[in-house]
Amino acid sequence: MATTIRRLTLSVGWLVVGLVAGLPLFGIVMGLWPTGSLSWPDITRFLTYNGLATSIVASVFLSLAAPLLALYVAFMVYSQYRFSRRWQALENRLAPLLSLPHLAVALGLVYLFSPSGMLWSVLYGIFGYGAPAWLGLPRKSLLTMVLAVSIKEVPFFLLIFSALGRQLAIKNWLLQGRALGYSDAASWWLLVFPAILKQSRLALLAAMAYTVSVLDVSLLIGPNIPQLYAVVLYHWQTGFSESDQAQAWLGNVVLLVMLAVLVGAIYLHEGLVLMRIHFNAVMANPLRIASVGRLFTLWLTAFSLLTVAILTTFVLWSVGWSSQGAPSLAKLSFSLWQEEWFFIQGPLLNSLGIGIFSSVLGVALSVLALELQHQRQRYLPDYIWLMAILLPQLSMVYGWQIAHTTLAAGYHSSWVVLAHLPFTFAYSYLVLRGPFQSVNRHYEVVAASFGYSYWQRWFKIRFVLLGPALLSALAIAFSVSVAQYISTLMIGAGRVVTITTEAVAIASGNEQQIIAVYMLVQAALPFIVFLIASLLAQRMRGSYHVAYH
Amino acid sequence: MIWPTFSITQRTYGRRCTGYFVVIASLLLLMAGSACANQVTQQQAEQGLQWQQTLVSAKGATVYFYAWGGSKPVNDYLRWASKELADRYQIRLRHVKVADISEAISRLTAEAGSQSAIDLLWVNGENFSYLKQQQLLLGQLWSHIPNTALLATDTLPLQHDFGVAMDEFEVPWGVGQFNVISNATLFKQSADTTPDALSTNNTISPSSLLAAAKRYPGKISYPRPPEFHGTTFLKQLLVALSANDQRLLHTATVDAQAELLPLLWNYLDQLHPLSWQQGRAFPSSNTEQLSLFQQQQLAMVVSFNPNQLVKDQQSARLAATSQRHYFAQGAITNSHNLAIPKGAQSPDAAKVVINFLLSEYAQQQKLTSSWGDPTVIKPLVDDAATLPAQQELHSSWQQVIEVSWQQRYGA
Repeated sequence: MATTIRRLTLSVGWLVVGLVAGLPLFGIVMGLWPTGSLSWPDITRFLTYNGLATSIVASVFLSLAAPLLALYVAFMVYSQYRFSRRWQALENRLAPLLSLPHLAVALGLVYLFSPSGMLWSVLYGIFGYGAPAWLGLPRKSLLTMVLAVSIKEVPFFLLIFSALGRQLAIKNWLLQGRALGYSDAASWWLLVFPAILKQSRLALLAAMAYTVSVLDVSLLIGPNIPQLYAVVLYHWQTGFSESDQAQAWLGNVVLLVMLAVLVGAIYLHEGLVLMRIHFNAVMANPLRIASVGRLFTLWLTAFSLLTVAILTTFVLWSVGWSSQGAPSLAKLSFSLWQEEWFFIQGPLLNSLGIGIFSSVLGVALSVLALELQHQRQRYLPDYIWLMAILLPQLSMVYGWQIAHTTLAAGYHSSWVVLAHLPFTFAYSYLVLRGPFQSVNRHYEVVAASFGYSYWQRWFKIRFVLLGPALLSALAIAFSVSVAQYISTLMIGAGRVVTITTEAVAIASGNEQQIIAVYMLVQAALPFIVFLIASLLAQRMRGSYHVAYH
Repeated sequence: MIWPTFSITQRTYGRRCTGYFVVIASLLLLMAGSACANQVTQQQAEQGLQWQQTLVSAKGATVYFYAWGGSKPVNDYLRWASKELADRYQIRLRHVKVADISEAISRLTAEAGSQSAIDLLWVNGENFSYLKQQQLLLGQLWSHIPNTALLATDTLPLQHDFGVAMDEFEVPWGVGQFNVISNATLFKQSADTTPDALSTNNTISPSSLLAAAKRYPGKISYPRPPEFHGTTFLKQLLVALSANDQRLLHTATVDAQAELLPLLWNYLDQLHPLSWQQGRAFPSSNTEQLSLFQQQQLAMVVSFNPNQLVKDQQSARLAATSQRHYFAQGAITNSHNLAIPKGAQSPDAAKVVINFLLSEYAQQQKLTSSWGDPTVIKPLVDDAATLPAQQELHSSWQQVIEVSWQQRYGA
């Protein structure tokens, strides 16, 4: 009897997890199901589209370069700060930039740093000169794009490392390294980096998939002669002529191939790096990269300054500060805030409710998925669980929309929660998998020997040890839910208005002042959640948590 | 509750009369003779039994209006309209803000004509043509909506939308006229033009644009096609360069393309090296171009709203010295329109909303509000306020220009 119940529970668990993880695949099959027939001229037109090859190469390069750059920077920062007294300060200061939308960061960066941007104007203005026109970040270029995306992803990776690091015996490894005669800097690279790199594979994958398909940032600062691939695809997808639709279909197939290439590149990169590290370790060659690590002790200062600069820019914009005419304090007013506040409250509450439900459910389901695999002693390939992040979102959600309208299912918020669930599930899975697998079994074995039952062990040991990681997962899942635009709009159909459906629509108009108001409000919810999560996590201990001295 | 500053007290008596009439038609019949004499035709139309039924069934309904949400003036106007519609007809108008109206088109495609989440949408051009062709729109709007009788069809090009006949599947709501806003100095030639001559003649031509680009290299640009402001900019150039060739108004034949398009490409070959970023990058949209203009990165911005300059100067979004120009052959003029999906759940209420938006009261408010969108109805059309119009090119040219531009300059 007991085994039957156990089996039944397990099957139900697998079914639920499978359904949520499978929703993206279902969506993409529905959304990309060929409606017309594909003709040879369509294929020729697609292949001869001017600049297609360059677009694809640029997008793949960007999607490789920006997340990897962010990963390396984040690791160097992590290695410099993890056992320093400033680690808590760093964790707390990640929240603002984590919660600002990518577009906001891009807007802020070009406003401040582009040629004749605010920063240069002010710097040169002090001395009474005009800033030279060549100085600064190009308005639209691959370089700007790489920088903007990687700046925004560094805090994301730091958060992942923070959740991961509590389950890894880093301090012990460093001691062992020291015993073998390695400097700490070398030990970080030789001993810690391989473990961290393997465990953050999913985060890297998510950052790459995001970068290859991001539209709003690409439109604003991406090169556009030729355009990035996401923009090209978007134009086909939103053109509704038969030829455009054929192009869009082919374009989506190419996007899937690009994603497969990126997945392959992650494994290739991992293999090459590990080989190199092994080689250096065996030959006792110094790692050149280890010597630049010290530079990153400056990171917290630079990062804080940047955050303050971007936030100040947005606050000033929101009270009506502009480059038109001489700036004066008299023109500034909070009237737009007062005016909009009435209209913001409802969407804000919707975001909050949907975010709480979908993030809690998403985290619970990803813990379930991990536990089920843990019991089976076999973990399924990562990309199966991360399909919501990997597959092209527009086609996927379009597929859901077809199913949703076929069901004539109404537009209740619970449908929107369901539409967010695959995303919150995938993101919490990617945060939790590393920490979950690296939990030190020792404690559970000891507990079992004291006669603790399975459930007692689970809740009293594993759950508690995973506490900080669960908090990070909740915060990320919540911010992912809040940031959903396409799925909220397509499934909520305008009945369920969130702060993001409002903010994204408003941002399409490039009106500084109102964009600033909505983006600040949009960032407020995730900001609060990230801050709470990081404050709570500091009171908890992971398996190998070592107190700072 | 805090409503935005426009209040009921701002209404004039005559307009108020129109509003109440629709709610309690019988009462107003008594007043109609004196106070609202000029609206007799409108009232007669509204008296139709059918319209009365529409009004009754519209009461209490919610209209989900899918419209681009990127413009604060437009959003504010729709907030005002929602308030009015709630007061007058007990209709809840919900503006569903979208970043791109294609999101609505894709929803209608997914719904495939079955019950729709959309009751009303703001549409024109290719999107309308697609929806009409797919038979996803409710027809006979002009016959059912009384205020369409007010449409200034004889003075404005309101029967066709980018060369496609509207056939009552959509109703014009406002008019766009292509113009160029520049800073004070861009088009000012040093010695040979006096300030007076400039203020009276605000027309530009391809050659004056090229001359300006030579004087201020890197300060000129246009939205990257296929963004429609950018494509329209190219159309204006083509009209001017071909000396208004009539073949542009008909299907783009191979011969016509071979003869006319090289004029444009030769011109752009000269212009691009003098443009912003030497033509190696373009603004993604006219709104982005506007913010580049505001940040003095660019000396010009294109616009489809002939009143944008004045409105943005009033709200201090543009410098008081900025100037509006249009191409000498006339400003390409087209309408932006309202349509109801076939599967709309509150089609009657959507019709009442359209009827209200076409009323003199609402059209006047649209013109005088911060939006400043030109009117489409006879009582308000004022020749002095509109720019000389240039007919929209045949729709086939649109794709020809976009595709060839991409092939020549896109990479």
